[in-house]
Amino acid sequence: MTLIERTRGVLTRAIDVYRGTGHDATLAAVRKRLDEPLRVALAGRVKCGKSTLLNALVGERLAPTDAGECTRIVTWYRDGHTYQVVAVPRQGESRQLRFTRDNDAIEVDLGGLTPDDIDQMVVTWPSQALRTATLIDTPGIGSLSERVSRRAWTLVAADDEETPADAVLYLMRHLHAGDLEFLRAFHDSEVSRPNPVNAIGVLSRADEIGVGRTDAMASARRIATRLASDGNVRRVVQTVVPVAGLLAETAVTLTETEVAHLRRVAEVDVRDADDLLLTTDRFLERMPELGLTSIERAALLQRFGLFGVRLASSLLRRGVTATATELARDLAERSGIGQLQEVLRTLFFERRDVLKSRSGLLAVDAVVRAHPRPGSERIAAEVEEIIASAHPFNELRVLSSLRAGWISGKPDVVDDLEHLIGGAGAAPYVRLRLAADADVGELTGSAKDALARWQRRAENPLTAHEMVLAARVAVRSCEGMLAQLGRAAG
Amino acid sequence: MTTPAAGQRSRVAQAIEVVDLCLRASAAYGRPDLGTRLAAARRTLADPAVHIVVAGEFKQGKSSLVNALLGVHVCPVDDDLATALPTYLRHGAQPKAYLLRDGDPPSREPIALDEVRGHVVENGHGRSNGDRPVVGAEIELPRKILAGGLVLVDTPGVGGLGSVHAAASLAAISMADAVIFVTDASQELTLSELDFVRQAQDLCRTVVCAITKTDFYPAWRKIRELNQGHFRSAGIDVPLLAVSSTLRARAAQANDAQLNTESGFPDVVRFVTQRVGTGAADRMAAQAAAEVIAVCDQIIAQFEAERAALTDPVVAQRVIDELNAARRRVEELRSAAAKWSQTLNDGVTDLTADIDHDLRARIREVLQEADDAIEDIDPSDTWPQMESWLQSRVSYELLANYRLLRTRADQLSEEVAEHFNEASGQVFRQLAVYNPAARVSDARVEHKIELAKMKAGKQAMVALKSAYGGALMFMMLGSMAGIALGPVGVGIGLVMGHKGLKDEKKRQVQQRRTQAKNAVRRYCDEVSFVMGKDSRDTLRRVQRQLRDHYSALAEEFSRSNTEALTAATEAAKRTQSERDLRLRDLDAELGRLRQVRQLAMSVSGSTEPASATPASGLSEVGS
Repeated sequence: MTLIERTRGVLTRAIDVYRGTGHDATLAAVRKRLDEPLRVALAGRVKCGKSTLLNALVGERLAPTDAGECTRIVTWYRDGHTYQVVAVPRQGESRQLRFTRDNDAIEVDLGGLTPDDIDQMVVTWPSQALRTATLIDTPGIGSLSERVSRRAWTLVAADDEETPADAVLYLMRHLHAGDLEFLRAFHDSEVSRPNPVNAIGVLSRADEIGVGRTDAMASARRIATRLASDGNVRRVVQTVVPVAGLLAETAVTLTETEVAHLRRVAEVDVRDADDLLLTTDRFLERMPELGLTSIERAALLQRFGLFGVRLASSLLRRGVTATATELARDLAERSGIGQLQEVLRTLFFERRDVLKSRSGLLAVDAVVRAHPRPGSERIAAEVEEIIASAHPFNELRVLSSLRAGWISGKPDVVDDLEHLIGGAGAAPYVRLRLAADADVGELTGSAKDALARWQRRAENPLTAHEMVLAARVAVRSCEGMLAQLGRAAG
Repeated sequence: MTTPAAGQRSRVAQAIEVVDLCLRASAAYGRPDLGTRLAAARRTLADPAVHIVVAGEFKQGKSSLVNALLGVHVCPVDDDLATALPTYLRHGAQPKAYLLRDGDPPSREPIALDEVRGHVVENGHGRSNGDRPVVGAEIELPRKILAGGLVLVDTPGVGGLGSVHAAASLAAISMADAVIFVTDASQELTLSELDFVRQAQDLCRTVVCAITKTDFYPAWRKIRELNQGHFRSAGIDVPLLAVSSTLRARAAQANDAQLNTESGFPDVVRFVTQRVGTGAADRMAAQAAAEVIAVCDQIIAQFEAERAALTDPVVAQRVIDELNAARRRVEELRSAAAKWSQTLNDGVTDLTADIDHDLRARIREVLQEADDAIEDIDPSDTWPQMESWLQSRVSYELLANYRLLRTRADQLSEEVAEHFNEASGQVFRQLAVYNPAARVSDARVEHKIELAKMKAGKQAMVALKSAYGGALMFMMLGSMAGIALGPVGVGIGLVMGHKGLKDEKKRQVQQRRTQAKNAVRRYCDEVSFVMGKDSRDTLRRVQRQLRDHYSALAEEFSRSNTEALTAATEAAKRTQSERDLRLRDLDAELGRLRQVRQLAMSVSGSTEPASATPASGLSEVGS
């Protein structure tokens, strides 16, 4: 029986136990979630580029973005057959809202409601990207409107309760090693338990590092690597990926007109172009012979940023890219969105059953603990049984213990362990640290070696107690892999 | 482009001239005791240090702004690493750099200019040689803009309000003459930034907000508007300057005046040289002038008494009687039983107790909060966050406690000044009462006393500033982060058993909570101890400075009184012709002194609008 089936079973029995108490509806909703796409929330400080990144991930400009603070309502973007926007007010019934969308973001008519009245908004939009994951856009933390801030935190809530989101992308602009704000946010009583299992850090607005120098992305990658190895950061996120959100968003929604405009800039002599692109004001006002109106120029800046205009026009000038398609691909690649999607796939989507089961079991546990009634004791025991025995959970537990520094050892041993238990991705070649095209024989051999290695470590009387427990989990992981590889070979 | 306005320069020059005149006069009249006071004023005028602190969040371009302002690449700028230590930039004939090390007194160790980078950016090897920790760097540069005594302080990013660094920055700001708050055009002000500006404005009267990176963000005008709105709705009146350090650097390279204008920096330069520089110079000139006026008044009073005794032998005896009475008063003023002295001693005792009590109450509150928080969490999960929360929370309480200390010490200084002036004013009145001119207009006497009052108060303020100076600074709060909480034993949450898992877990969590609470308590004890000692030391310094200041004043009065008494007694013995001769001399000297006084009045008088909003608490003393 798979983990998700066991979870569903517990939920079904819990619904029976709680029938007629009002909690059964909650639990039914939780059960329904098991069949829905994974829910990924985008969280972070105000103005760190959450909506822009969301658009880039969806591949369409859905969420409105602006220079000032923009997102004030928690908004869900989910796949569906029809286009619709529903508001869930704090009081009263949900209602459908009117909305318009030209070639820009969705503009919703709140229909007499103020952002403060609305608990959340659900945008249903037929989209391939949203089929894999429902994305949740949140208002920023540290907003001048405190209420807006608080809302974001309730959403990305704790380990012990039902969490609306299964996984979280934490966006940060430049996290300084001592930036307390970020870590302090976790100190919020509502969010007392950071968990690296379901969180990825994104170094957002990466193109702005170095204020638009063309090597900004290289700088950003270096910073992300440093952050990802920082102990404090490792406690709260699995890894850190740099992304130039604006560039990514524009790349996936690039139009021919925009490319034509950029070509005009690219045709200008290099030195004149440098002068023109020295400041945004100059780009807007100088060189009337460019043949672009100030509105068109402002539009380019808004879509690409100064860094993007510099980069794209230089790519076109040097003939690196010739067509709109090529330019879009090149910009997307440079923006780092591809790497983020890859990380999302290996760390979230491939593990979605585990993450969803985890959310589901936590929800049952919360109800059972808060409202005991005849039969709930048995449900609690069942939940504990699954949490304690299911191998994927054991892997996650070892992983977070590793991240928290509770398990320690030589760096190469720790690294080996982290990979084996799926810390970098669940595919056997990732776990065994082999190339992606390694054949079954090679994989099997390596898995057998790892099995023997970790068995020895588990049985060695000199191994620390914590490491023994972790080694047993690693052994199970190896056995699981061997079984899987055996099936594939047979 | 950075020369201070001509008028300002001459104001200080005028003040120096007047002080010199008065210095010569006091030497000529055989009053070197008055001379020491003037010499001190002269030194301040010659080397005025005006501190401008550049503060803001991480990575907002503070170092770039300082570099662009000075037109030299001197503060390290990096995409990743941020400035970790304050850098003081002051004028010097040759470019030179020093490392400042913690200690009492802090030491200054010369280093090469290009070594600064390795020390002030984070992860620098500042502590490599096992010496006392490096607490900052000082760089001397031959830049015109700094020539007026300006000191620019590039600070580490505050990292969110409520952090230890923010508290340290605010402590530094409380000592500064002006603050440039830096925020970039990538986004509008955040809650913590706004709070920081609000607090900075409480601590320092001149604050300006610089919006940087306007070359890169097309929406900078909108951001400026939004920020203006935020300031307005928060009731904060701070001018906003939009600048581009990149453009300014480029302008300096190409020597392009138009580009320089485009960079927005001329406004910053104007702010620095005129609003801050001139303001500070004016204050200093006015202070020196007030010093001169006070000295002149003493000598004039002394001469007036002698003159009165000389003009009329009948009056002479009365003058001598009055002067004898005055002498008793002056003696009283000098004695430990004087009201001002008692006020000072009692005040400091009370203050020490109050500050200590306040600190305890604050720490108790933090402890309570920490205990409550620990009850809700498992310390093994959130200990690092708990640690940073505690440090920032504590440093904020310390800052509040320190602010209380300063406010109360200022009040005490005013009280002491008032009592001293009440007593000394009577002395003045008695010295001056037989001045025929004064009799015509009592108002002038009043005015004289008022000036003396104002001066005394003002000088005490300055004295106190240096008393605080040694106390709680960057270093103190900065090294707070060094007081370790110690680890909390983390029982591993990795037990795989089925039964009893929850109970065992609960027990472990409970144990960790107890450990955590004890660690917090130890930390708070340590902090209270350090801070308590620091406050007591500061107050002792305040007490000593005030006592020395007013004792010296009393000493001067006593001397003036003695001189007048001697002169008056001798006058009675003189022949008519001697008297006439002496009278002519006296009139001439009095004329000269009045001239000097008039000059000093014009130096300080022209700053009347400025002195309408004087340093904290002065308004009450002056009026």
